[in-house]
Amino acid sequence: MSAPDDTGPEVQRDDPMIAAEWALGLLEGEELLAARGKYATDPAFAWRKEWWDDWFAPLSDAMPGAEPGDHVWDGIAARVAAQQAAAEAPTADGAAGANVVALEARVRLWQRVAGLSSIAAAALLAWMALAPSQTPVTPEPAELLAVTEPMVAIVPIGDSGLRLDVTYIPGSDRLVVAALGLTADGVHDHELWLTPKDDGPRQSLGVVKPGEVRSMVLPATVTAQLGRGAGLVLTREPIGGKPEGKEAGPVVASGSFKEV
Amino acid sequence: MAARPRPSTDEAREALREAMARLAAGDQAALEEIYRATRVKLFGICLRILGDRKEAEDALQDVYVNLWQRADRYDPSRASPIAWLAAFARNRAIDRLRTGKVRGGAVPVEEAAPLADESPLADALLVDAEQTAQIHKCLGTLDARTQGHIRAAFFEGKTYAQLADAANVPLGTMKSWIRRGLQRLRACLEASEAA
Repeated sequence: MSAPDDTGPEVQRDDPMIAAEWALGLLEGEELLAARGKYATDPAFAWRKEWWDDWFAPLSDAMPGAEPGDHVWDGIAARVAAQQAAAEAPTADGAAGANVVALEARVRLWQRVAGLSSIAAAALLAWMALAPSQTPVTPEPAELLAVTEPMVAIVPIGDSGLRLDVTYIPGSDRLVVAALGLTADGVHDHELWLTPKDDGPRQSLGVVKPGEVRSMVLPATVTAQLGRGAGLVLTREPIGGKPEGKEAGPVVASGSFKEV
Repeated sequence: MAARPRPSTDEAREALREAMARLAAGDQAALEEIYRATRVKLFGICLRILGDRKEAEDALQDVYVNLWQRADRYDPSRASPIAWLAAFARNRAIDRLRTGKVRGGAVPVEEAAPLADESPLADALLVDAEQTAQIHKCLGTLDARTQGHIRAAFFEGKTYAQLADAANVPLGTMKSWIRRGLQRLRACLEASEAA
């Protein structure tokens, strides 16, 4: 056994070091969340994390392969199919068929242009096709399609591959927030904030529910601030959201609204 | 260029790269192709990290569904597709450990199902040989103790605290051992890139 390397000055824990620790899987809790946030906003840090991932990857050749059960593929196929089916056929009701086809085409266009996830597109479509508050009587396709083009904000969460898809349709009072794939850590909640176009104070859009698609009604004071360039930030808060009278927690992700 | 151990490696890598490109372009059939070619390797990684067959199967499902949703994240100019997928799967499995979905962490692997005879490209999909040799060489320059801890972190998903417990040393000591090792590792890898 060669002599352990115990001596020398303490190693400086700079960003490349944190990226290495993260790639190795050593980070947890607050530090892990902070690293994810940094990955989203700091290209040099993201580059270094991927550099380490690339270098460590060959080590996995030493992990023996194993055959998963047949049901695993069935599960993957079913989840993919369910998400697609939701986007393609939000209702089994034949009477709504014409509307659905028209809506489907429109939502697919938004999805293509905005890179809106299938989940968010499915949620948006289901909401537009079915939500009674938006369309109190059986809508004509023309009426539905007259809805102004939506605004979309995509808020990536670190390198986790996860993101929030936030969709707003001008003229309506509703926002659809899709946080699928996010999981609660049991210690924190994440709160979504609107940064108004005029750089006014942030307005809370509420705590994000991990793993859910939520449609929320916004007050007019908030919708007045929504438009191209309006920003969204996600902050990390104690369970329940930002405590009254305290500063908001650190920003872990951000995005801004774009017209589709 | 380093000699390739066998021609099927290049072919398998190209086939996979091409399937990833088709998936990114929205071809859903490509997902099944990718799954058939990579499931054994990626499941092996999830199983090793999570130590539980059921957990590993759930993680594997998440890996491919996530891949389908975000196929555009793979940059073909950056890493070999299997290296990227291996890191992607390991990161997801570690996330699962760290977000508290899995209690207890890695335990000895229970009966791993025997490999199917077709052995779906598992051998052919090894990560780039030259790169593999280099990381092993650089790890080999570290003292055995540091090497052991870095390997335990990679292969078993151990945290600093778990490593310190296992070695019966203070947390701060373990952190400085590993950080010193990572610093040397980085210098060695960068030197190899510059060469």
